[in-house]
Amino acid sequence: MGSERVPGPGRDHRGDHEDHGGLKELLGRVARGDQAAFERVYHLAAAPVYGLILRVLRDRAQAEEVAQEVLVEVWRGAARFDPARGTAMAWVMTIAHRRAIDRVRSAQAGTDREERAARLQVDRPYDEVAESVERSLEQERLRRCLGGLTELQRESVTFAYYGGYSYREVAEFLKVPLATVKTRMRDGLIRMRDCLGVER
Amino acid sequence: MNDAPGEHDPHTLAGAYALNAVDEGDRLRFEEHLSRCAECAEEVRGLAETAARMGRVLAAEPPEGLRARVMAEIGQVRQVPPLVPGDTGITGISGIAGRKAGERHRRAAEGSPGTRPGTRPGAWWPRAVAGLAAACLVAAVALGVVNVRTRDLLERQEAANRQIATVLAAPDARSIRVSGGPQGAGTLVVVSRSQDRLVVVPSGLAGLPEDRTYQMWRMGSARTTSAGTMRPGEGASAVVIDDIAQTAQVGVTIEPAGGSAQPTSTPLLVLNLPPA
Repeated sequence: MGSERVPGPGRDHRGDHEDHGGLKELLGRVARGDQAAFERVYHLAAAPVYGLILRVLRDRAQAEEVAQEVLVEVWRGAARFDPARGTAMAWVMTIAHRRAIDRVRSAQAGTDREERAARLQVDRPYDEVAESVERSLEQERLRRCLGGLTELQRESVTFAYYGGYSYREVAEFLKVPLATVKTRMRDGLIRMRDCLGVER
Repeated sequence: MNDAPGEHDPHTLAGAYALNAVDEGDRLRFEEHLSRCAECAEEVRGLAETAARMGRVLAAEPPEGLRARVMAEIGQVRQVPPLVPGDTGITGISGIAGRKAGERHRRAAEGSPGTRPGTRPGAWWPRAVAGLAAACLVAAVALGVVNVRTRDLLERQEAANRQIATVLAAPDARSIRVSGGPQGAGTLVVVSRSQDRLVVVPSGLAGLPEDRTYQMWRMGSARTTSAGTMRPGEGASAVVIDDIAQTAQVGVTIEPAGGSAQPTSTPLLVLNLPPA
């Protein structure tokens, strides 16, 4: 960080894949109160943030509300982003996922637990990704990697991440011991990491 | 389908943790483990990165108008200061949501621009207050929540205290939990207007240098008065504040050791209490 260079189209593309169009540098500027830099952050991050939240919440109005919270949080907490601990996009997406989950769980207050369990039965996030008509290369790759997991690994990972279910809920629903679900989530994610070529 | 606590390796929770599929108790335990296990922190980093990739592919164009609303809102929102180097936490994964149990060495917020002793700091207050007002509403609606929280609280305090018990048992007890924010996340407040007391169970507050302390304030229509100092991790974990008839909000600031007569730094936390 520390560079004042404005990232944008036309700059060198080396490292773009991990850096997502200079998101890291932009966050450094945002941390110093640079609103123009934040506009660029919005441009890069709003669609992934909104898309993920929408997937978890499945309600456009709520997703929009939570996406707004998340993007404002990115502005507010930009100084807390530490590039040594992960990519800027992962940092942003972690916030987005957390907030979406918070919303799901606060709305869940007990009574609609059953309804939620019922929904889990029709939830097939993997299929949704798999059947999406227009696929980007990245989507294609994700689909392929998910396809390389065992069924239990895939269900554990996708129910948790896309469905917003806790591992306890997943265990209950799939009728497998908690320890098994925990292990499958970990093994599944490790396989995904290696398949997607995530840098370690 | 319960695992006896302690019989399994906490390490196996890395996947569920990275997928955000853990409850609060698991999270705290696992983060505690992470703070002592560099290898695990590294694994979690890679897995969280992987999860983020799974999220990114779902990109969808947000509704029109979101951008304008976000840009307008950030003009009103005060930014948090950076962590000082040497922080041993795992901010990249969870720090932003303020949920990390062991956030350490965070720079004290004293001397923030625009703050003078006794004056109300600007920008971010209304937002914090609005967020917490929503929390109050939830707490007021969900009366049953008090019992659940009570158990939670009792687990966390080192010695049961009769005053605390009285507040918790009061029929009008309301609980408020801070759900986000860079500081104080998870802090629990139980208020009883009939007992004219409230109980604060701080959480998510960073350790402080020797010469600093957290100080709590009664705030409201009348002037701001000190409600005592505290240093999380030292002594009792729950604090009772009495004489709250004129108090609409409780604030927490960082002050020089021994406390100040009036706040000299921007509050880390401002809680809206349910009205009398």
